[in-house]
Amino acid sequence: MSVPFSGAASVAGIGATEFSKESGRSELQLSAEATLAALTDAGLSPGDVDGLVTFTMDNTAEIALARELGMGELRFFSRISYGGGAACATLQQAAMAVATGMADVVVCYRGFNERSGQRFGQVQNWAAGQSNTNGLDNAWSYPSGLSTPAATVAMQARRYMHEYGATSRDFGAVAVADRRHASTNPAAWFHGKPITIEDHQSSRMIADPLRLLDCCQESDGAVAIVVTSTERARDLAAGAVPVLAAAQGSARDQFVMTSYYRDDIGIPEMGVVGRQLWAQSGLGPADIDTAVLYDHFTPYVLMQLEELGFCGPGEAPGFVADGAIELGGRLPVNTHGGQLGEAYIHGMNGINEAVRQLRGTSVNQVEGAAHVVVTAGTGVPTSGLVLGRDG
Amino acid sequence: MSDTHDWIMEQASLLRDRGETTPRPARDPVNQPQVHTWLEAIGDPNPVYRDTPEATEVHGGPVAPPAMAQVWTMYGLDPHRPADDPLHSMMQVMDEAGFTSVLGTNCDQTYDRYLRPGDHVTVTTRLESVVGPKRTGVGEGYFVTTRSTWRVGDEQVATMLFRVLKYKPGPRSSGPDPSSTVRPARNRDSEFFWEGTAVGELRIQRCNGCGALRHPPGPMCPHCHATDQGHVVSPGRGHVYSYVTHHAPQVPGKQLPLLLAVVELDEGVRMIGELRDGTGSRLEPLSGPDSGAVEIGTPVEVGFERIDDDLTLAVWRVVDGGSA
Amino acid sequence: MSTTAPQVEHQLPPWELPVTTTLVVSTALATRDFQDVHHDRDLAVQRGSKDIFLNILTTTGLVQRYVGEWAGHAALIRACELRLGAPAYPGDTLSFRGTVSEVLQVGVETRQVVDVVGSVSLGDHVTARVTVVLPAGAQA
Ligand SMILES: [Zn+2]
Repeated sequence: MSVPFSGAASVAGIGATEFSKESGRSELQLSAEATLAALTDAGLSPGDVDGLVTFTMDNTAEIALARELGMGELRFFSRISYGGGAACATLQQAAMAVATGMADVVVCYRGFNERSGQRFGQVQNWAAGQSNTNGLDNAWSYPSGLSTPAATVAMQARRYMHEYGATSRDFGAVAVADRRHASTNPAAWFHGKPITIEDHQSSRMIADPLRLLDCCQESDGAVAIVVTSTERARDLAAGAVPVLAAAQGSARDQFVMTSYYRDDIGIPEMGVVGRQLWAQSGLGPADIDTAVLYDHFTPYVLMQLEELGFCGPGEAPGFVADGAIELGGRLPVNTHGGQLGEAYIHGMNGINEAVRQLRGTSVNQVEGAAHVVVTAGTGVPTSGLVLGRDG
Repeated sequence: MSDTHDWIMEQASLLRDRGETTPRPARDPVNQPQVHTWLEAIGDPNPVYRDTPEATEVHGGPVAPPAMAQVWTMYGLDPHRPADDPLHSMMQVMDEAGFTSVLGTNCDQTYDRYLRPGDHVTVTTRLESVVGPKRTGVGEGYFVTTRSTWRVGDEQVATMLFRVLKYKPGPRSSGPDPSSTVRPARNRDSEFFWEGTAVGELRIQRCNGCGALRHPPGPMCPHCHATDQGHVVSPGRGHVYSYVTHHAPQVPGKQLPLLLAVVELDEGVRMIGELRDGTGSRLEPLSGPDSGAVEIGTPVEVGFERIDDDLTLAVWRVVDGGSA
Repeated sequence: MSTTAPQVEHQLPPWELPVTTTLVVSTALATRDFQDVHHDRDLAVQRGSKDIFLNILTTTGLVQRYVGEWAGHAALIRACELRLGAPAYPGDTLSFRGTVSEVLQVGVETRQVVDVVGSVSLGDHVTARVTVVLPAGAQA
C-alpha cells in the first residue's frame, strides 16, 4: 500500500524564541516557549498535540516538553540523528505520521543554549569519547587535531577550490548575501549590520581557507513547527503550507563531517536528498523561487547549489556572483539572513523563513514565492524539504 | 627580505662558486685495526670485514664497512680546518648571522665499491645549497647542504650528501601539554592500527577474503563480506589530497596553527594526520602568498609521534624536494 | 575507498638495541668523532641537550648492521639515505624496524630497497632507505 505523501501534510504554525548569545533560561523553557508560540500561531492548544519530533542531540525529552505544556497523551515521538542534518527530517517524520494517520498534530522542536552553554564550534571531546561507532569513526580525526566543524569543512573546501578554481571570495558571496538579508530582519542577531566582500576578506582565518565570516554564529534559542494534515491546516488560524516533498539522504561511504574516503569527496548525500525532492514534488530547480540552504559554513552553500541541480558541478562560484543569491537576484538564498546572519538554531529557523515566504509575510519577501526548497546540515547525513503555497 | 638574509645568500653563493675543495688525503690508509675498533663499537658481526674465509670468498679478502667511508677522513682532534672547507666556512657565516645552533637532518651516502686495507682515500667537498629561512620546530634556520666525494686516486669510491639545519633556537614556549591530546576510541576492530603506530608501523587493514585494502578499518569487508581481516604494513608514502591550517579555537595537546591533511597513500586509501616538515618538526605556515610549503599533491611520508605509552600518532612529513 | 593489495611487504625482524653511555662514547671514538656532545655529559647538558647522544656516523653504522644481518654477509650495500630525527640518549632503547619497499633492476644487479625506521622514546631517531644487492640465488 502506498500513501500519497506530497501535499498530504502541511505546516500549520511556526514559533520561535528570540535569538541571543545568552538566553538566561533553561533549554527546556526555550523549547516550551517556542512550542507554545507555534501552537498559538496555528490556533491550536497543547492538548491538541499527539506527536513530538526532535533531534537526537536535543537535551529536552519529549515527555519533559509535554509535561511543561500540559499536553495529554502522545502517540508518536521520534528523534533524528546526525546533528543539523536532522532539521528537515523532523518535518519528514511529522508529515509521514500525519499522512499515515499515526498522529494528528505533531510539533517539531529544537532548543538550545548553544552559545552560553555547550558551544559546538569548540573541540567536542565527547564526540571522540562516545562508545559507539561514531566515537570509533572520530578516532581517525580527533587525536590528530582535526576536531572542529570548521576544520572538517575547510578540508572539503580546499579540495573544492583545487578542483574547480573556487576562491575565498566565492565563499564570501554567501556571507555577504546572508548578512545583507539579516540586516533588514529585526529578529536577526546581525540586524542592521551588513558586510562587504572586503570585510569578509579581511576577517581572520579560523581554519584556512575558512575565515571568521565564513562561519555561522553560535546562538541560544528555540524553534518549533506544527504539522498537521493539509485539510485540517486550511481551517486553522494561519492556513496551510503544504509539505510537497521531504527526504533524507546518506551517500556511499558516509561519515559525520569526515567523508574523506570516497572517490570524490564533497556532499553527494545532498544529491540523494535533491533527487527525491524533485521526484516527490514533480518540481525542479527552475520552479524554485527562493531557497533556504543550510549555511553553517559558506563553502557548503556553493556545493549544495550544485548537488540540488541549480547549476552544474563546479559552477556555483559563477552562479552566486554578482548578487544572484541576494534579494532581487535569480535565486534569493536565506532571506532571513541564514545561520550566519539570523541565528544558528540547527537549521530549524530556516524552515520558519520558508513558511513565511509562502505565507507572504517575510521581512524580505520574494514576490509571489510559490515553491521554496529548504535543506539541513551538510557534511553529515542530511535532509531537505520542498514547501509550497497552498492553492 | 632582510639584509641578513641577503648577506647569508651572498656568502653562500660565493662559497658555492668555489666548487670542489682540493682533495684532502685521509690521515691513514684503510687499515684493519681501525676497522676492528669500529666493528667492536658498533657490534657488527659481518665476517667479510675480518680476515675470514667468507671475506676471501665474497671480496677476495677483508673489506671495510662502507659506512666507514667518512671515518677515514675525519678531522679528529685537530682543530685546524683547511681554509676552503665549505661547510666550516658556511657555519661561520651562519654563526655570525646569529644562527648559532646546528642539527644534522640528512646524510645520504652511495658506495661505488668496498674499500680494502691499503686503499688511501682523499675527500673533496662542495657547498651544494643554502635554503632558508625556514621556521622549524626548533627555531628559524637555514638548511645547508654539502656534497663530498671520496676517491682512491682518480677512482670515485663513495659520495655523501650532508644536510644540517643551522638555526636560531626559538623561544621555548611553554606549549601545549601533549598528554591532553584527544584519545581515540578503539575496539577489537581498530586495535591493530594503534598497536602498529606504537611500534612504528602504519598498518592498513587487508581483507583476508579478497585482498581489498581499507581505511578506516571495519569488521566486515564491504566487498566480499568476509570477517577475516588482516593487515599490511605500509611504507607510508603518499601525497596530500587536501589540507587545512587550523588557527582557532585551541585544540587539546596541539600547538597552533596546526597543519592537517587528508593524505592519499600510494596504496589508494586515505588517512587524516598532522603535516610536518621534512625533519619531523612542526610545520609552521609562513604568512604571505608564498606560504605554500604544502599544496595538494605534495608528496609526504609517514612518521610517528609518540604521545605516551598509550598513544602514538601517525604524522605526515613533507618529502623535501631537496636542495632548491 | 579501497583497492586491491600490492605484493605483501617483506618485513625484517625487529631489533632492539639498548643505548648506553658506553655505546655512545665507544662508537663516537671508533668513528673518530670527538665532538663534546658525544662524550662529555656536562658540556652536552650545557649546550641544551638532555645528555650525550649518538653521532650520525654511528647511526649510519647501526642501520647498515641491521640491514646487513638480515641480508647476509655476501650482500653489498650500495646506498644509504638517512633522515635524522629525535636524539638517542643513554638509557633509551633504539628499536629498528625494516620493510623491503622496492626491488629495482639496475643492469645485472637486483637491488632491494629497505626502509628502516629506528625509533626511541622521543619518536623516530632515524628514517633510512638502504639499497642492498643480494647475491644471485639468495632470496631474502
Ligand atoms: Zn573482502
